[in-house]
Amino acid sequence: MSRAPLRTDRRIALGLFLGAFAVLFATEAAVGFVRDESVYFAAAEQAVRWLRYLLQSPVRGLSDAVTTQAFDFNHEHPVGMKLLFGLSFQLFHETLGLLRPATAFRLPALAMAAAIPAVLHAWGSVLYGRKAGLFAALCFLAAPRHFFHAHLACFDMPVAAAWLFVVYAFWRAETDEGWWLWTGLLWGAALATKHNALFLPPVLLPFVVLRAYRASTGKPAARELALKALLLLAATAGLLCLLLLLLTPEGFVQSWAFLSPQTVLVAFLAVGLLVLGVRLRKTDVATFRAVAPLGAMLLLGPAILYAVWPWLWYHPVDRFAAYLEFHATHVHYAWTYLGTVLREPPFPLSYVLVVTALTLPISLVAPMSVGLLSLGVRSIAAWRPAWRARVTPASASEALVGLNALASIVLISFPDVPHFGGVKHWLPSMPFLALLAGRQVQLAGEGLAAWLRPRLRRLPATAVTPLLGGVLLLPAVTLTAHVHPYGTSAYGELAGGIPGAASLGMQRQYWSNNVTGVLPWLNAHAPRGARIWLHEVVSFHDYQRNGMLREDLRQAAGPADADIAVVQYHQEFREQELAVWQAFGTTRPVTGLYIDETPQVVVYQRR
Amino acid sequence: MPSPEPRPSRLAAAEGAGFLLVALLGLGFQAWLPTVLPKDGDERAVADVLQREAEPGDVVLLHPWWTERARLFLPEGLPVVGYLGDETDALLEHPRIWVLAQPSLPRTPASAFAAAFLPGRTRLGEERHFGPLSLSLYRNGRARGVRFSAAEALPTARVTLAVPGSEPVPCVQDGSTFRCLSGAHAEAGIHEVFYQPVRCLFVVPPGGPGAVELTFEGVPASAALRLEAGIAWEHAWKRGGGLTPLHASLLDADTGAPLAALSVEPGTEGFVAAEVPGGPRRLRLRVQSDNAHEREACLVLRALDAGGTP
Repeated sequence: MSRAPLRTDRRIALGLFLGAFAVLFATEAAVGFVRDESVYFAAAEQAVRWLRYLLQSPVRGLSDAVTTQAFDFNHEHPVGMKLLFGLSFQLFHETLGLLRPATAFRLPALAMAAAIPAVLHAWGSVLYGRKAGLFAALCFLAAPRHFFHAHLACFDMPVAAAWLFVVYAFWRAETDEGWWLWTGLLWGAALATKHNALFLPPVLLPFVVLRAYRASTGKPAARELALKALLLLAATAGLLCLLLLLLTPEGFVQSWAFLSPQTVLVAFLAVGLLVLGVRLRKTDVATFRAVAPLGAMLLLGPAILYAVWPWLWYHPVDRFAAYLEFHATHVHYAWTYLGTVLREPPFPLSYVLVVTALTLPISLVAPMSVGLLSLGVRSIAAWRPAWRARVTPASASEALVGLNALASIVLISFPDVPHFGGVKHWLPSMPFLALLAGRQVQLAGEGLAAWLRPRLRRLPATAVTPLLGGVLLLPAVTLTAHVHPYGTSAYGELAGGIPGAASLGMQRQYWSNNVTGVLPWLNAHAPRGARIWLHEVVSFHDYQRNGMLREDLRQAAGPADADIAVVQYHQEFREQELAVWQAFGTTRPVTGLYIDETPQVVVYQRR
Repeated sequence: MPSPEPRPSRLAAAEGAGFLLVALLGLGFQAWLPTVLPKDGDERAVADVLQREAEPGDVVLLHPWWTERARLFLPEGLPVVGYLGDETDALLEHPRIWVLAQPSLPRTPASAFAAAFLPGRTRLGEERHFGPLSLSLYRNGRARGVRFSAAEALPTARVTLAVPGSEPVPCVQDGSTFRCLSGAHAEAGIHEVFYQPVRCLFVVPPGGPGAVELTFEGVPASAALRLEAGIAWEHAWKRGGGLTPLHASLLDADTGAPLAALSVEPGTEGFVAAEVPGGPRRLRLRVQSDNAHEREACLVLRALDAGGTP
């Protein structure tokens, strides 16, 4: 049976997309530029300059020298989203003049983020019911930090979206024709978005095996072919790992040439998967649908990444290896957690769970955690006959949701993985937690309605779940509205709100974006031509370019050559605020951004 | 097709009621929070009181430590202390402490603050309230008279680069900084040691066996000499990578007799301290580290009276 949503739910999903996009678009202008966003603005603009050059001079534009020059900057991230940011900038700002530069850059990211609620509803409505899908969709975007990250021309929200799209396509592929191909195409797009996508195949592999086993039961020919495909994959992976061990990682990369064992193995895998796939499709469509998504991912994903990222074109192996190495050995930035500045591993194992619980509104923490817990219990029930009479066992679809809800959380929880950046690093888990929350709210609403029906006969039973969902969303919406556009400062009720989190010794904010809180003061009060030091802000010229900071103000390199210093409160940067005290001869700020009493950005003026 | 679900049960109804309660608590919290945040008028009222009643040597201690918005309003000359862990600060230069508190803020346990702050302190008068702000004056029993501060005396000090086997090389005074050969230097300034803002001698040693030596003349007689040494800012937590201990020694400049010796090991956050009886009128402070990389020292050397009366 098809897993396509009903027409009504497709319309609701479209409405959610349009509504979310409209809200994000309407609230975007106030959101400051996070530190890396300005880098992506520049990289996106450079990508578009290369495209323009390509039209003028195709041969030279495609050369190694030019592609390297165009894409070497910020090559630690694939160029997929940056190309979209750049094209949007070219169209909506440069060509049509409709939008300011930052909004034009951000437009594709807004669209990706807006698609998350739509897909959540499309999936949730089929998996659990319409109300569950709707709650999942709304609760995801209502969370203050999700709402904030949804505005940025960065990759965290786009990769969360891409992860969701891939898993959704993978889920649809079990029953619906053609979705196996979408799974592969979408994974390619995800790879071109951010490196998180590299972890998707291991998460999906158990489900491929399970599906193949179930689909091929009683079909020996199909089972044999599916088994061959999986064995081919395992053998190739094993041999490549063996080569990696024998040659050392450096030798493995350096010896990989057009005619080398590595190339032969990969080619053998690709051809083998294609041949087996064609034969399996002819033998048994159900078994084909079980394994084809993974095959499509492995065949199309790397090809798409390679095709859209010109930096890889002439040096695919060593540059891809350099890309992986950058993330495998990423620097650990300081990050404040429960009164301690985390600077180096091992990081606390509980970090991700605690930060998730403290940053989300409690009315979302509750259904998400109950939903996850319930799924855990019901997953055990699926394997224990004695439990099945008491609880509804989790289906494979639910297990897919649950595993993806945990995947990024578990990954970032590893004590050696960089922990700076907070929730944005495990955003790909959150849509799945939202789905589980949706199920739980729908069930609870129905339970409540059943209990209320004999007691409140005039209360329409169908209104209880929407009412419950609405009441649960309200604290999230009010907190989001309260803290906007400073979403990285948001803390939920479990933390005691933003002041409670400050007392707990939690990270006050990310880098750079909250400076928008004092730009109006600077524009109104800074003397003409004043030298301004925007501490930890690389976006000085972006603020000027977007009309947020006066053009006559000049950028200072530090307190020593500044007339006005704008200091961001970070526990690890206290010394820099003291340098301002020293240079300016005062400990008294002239203004600042204080959210619920917590210092975020503090402004000093030279006396 | 939705997954099969159980029929609504009492458990589901209880869950719904629980969710409802949680949501209402969340909304209640959000409605309550603004009521415990001070208004500008409250802050100004506190500032007026302090303008009238604060005496030279007084200090304002913020509780919780991060409520620094008060700096916008408090009188310019009045020191304000607010840093992570400040409740344990002896504030020994300040005989009276004004505690400006926001006791109703979430996660602000009064007991933990009181346990660290109150010993040796006596409240003077009643606590006063200005909206959600409270202001209390304490006599600081941990205060001690400061007869000499090396950071203040630096302009008159003699600063040299001492290398074993050769004559000391004088460091050149460049404004408020003494610059020595090999990049070593010394100056007085405000620096962070484990989040605490401290006015200290900021000394960068030359590396190797050489040392920066600061000689102070005419140190007043006192009950004690107290030397504190820490690594400034973020370099303190680092270990390995060839980092070496920072050695700070206090000597009698007339006799060369060692008075106190401190060693700040890599990874030590905060100050290490030593206190010795006062006496010598000429003091020499010697600062050395085999590897000067990231060994920027923040040193506090003071001549103090005996402990204050609680």
